[in-house]
Amino acid sequence: MRHLLWMAAFAGLTAIVFGVVARGSNRQRLVYGLKVFGEFIFIALALGWILYFLPYR
Amino acid sequence: MVAKQIQQTSKAETPRSAWLIGLAAWAVPGLGHLLQRRWARALLLGGAVWAMFFTGLWLGGHLFRVSASDQGLTALLQLLPMTANAGTGLLYIFCWLTNTGFAEQAQRITYEYGNTFLLVAGLLNYLAMLDAFDLAAGRKQ
Repeated sequence: MRHLLWMAAFAGLTAIVFGVVARGSNRQRLVYGLKVFGEFIFIALALGWILYFLPYR
Repeated sequence: MVAKQIQQTSKAETPRSAWLIGLAAWAVPGLGHLLQRRWARALLLGGAVWAMFFTGLWLGGHLFRVSASDQGLTALLQLLPMTANAGTGLLYIFCWLTNTGFAEQAQRITYEYGNTFLLVAGLLNYLAMLDAFDLAAGRKQ
């Protein structure tokens, strides 16, 4: 659980910077930041599950 | 020809203050935007970088540096992450001068998280620095 929280903190802080430096209106940048945050979380969870089923250590 | 004209135009139109603001933005995360009275951007960008840097140290991450004993590939492997760490400007220089945050604490479970936070804090500050420069140069609103 702790790993997920630190990963979410990392994704959140990175998404803030990406959203702020992006071009466009405030709304577009907010949506972009949220999208970046969601992608970080989704890809990390997806990779985690893929690696979970791999039999290699 | 066109590329040369664009290069000459951009050089002529970049005010000297933009370079100084870029330098300030690198040295102290958020300062480049503060100097331009972009309060919200300064708070968000500066806050994110500072938070990431101190969280990285708190999680047991370590900063990189090239020492005299590093030669060849070893030096290169230290140079790349050091460049990322150095993106935090005076925060990195202060840690370097006081020898803070360079000790490896691999026994801690959050060690790699800490390293990642510290590396990315520097890289994000490079982005924030470019943003401050672009705003000061009038290339961005």
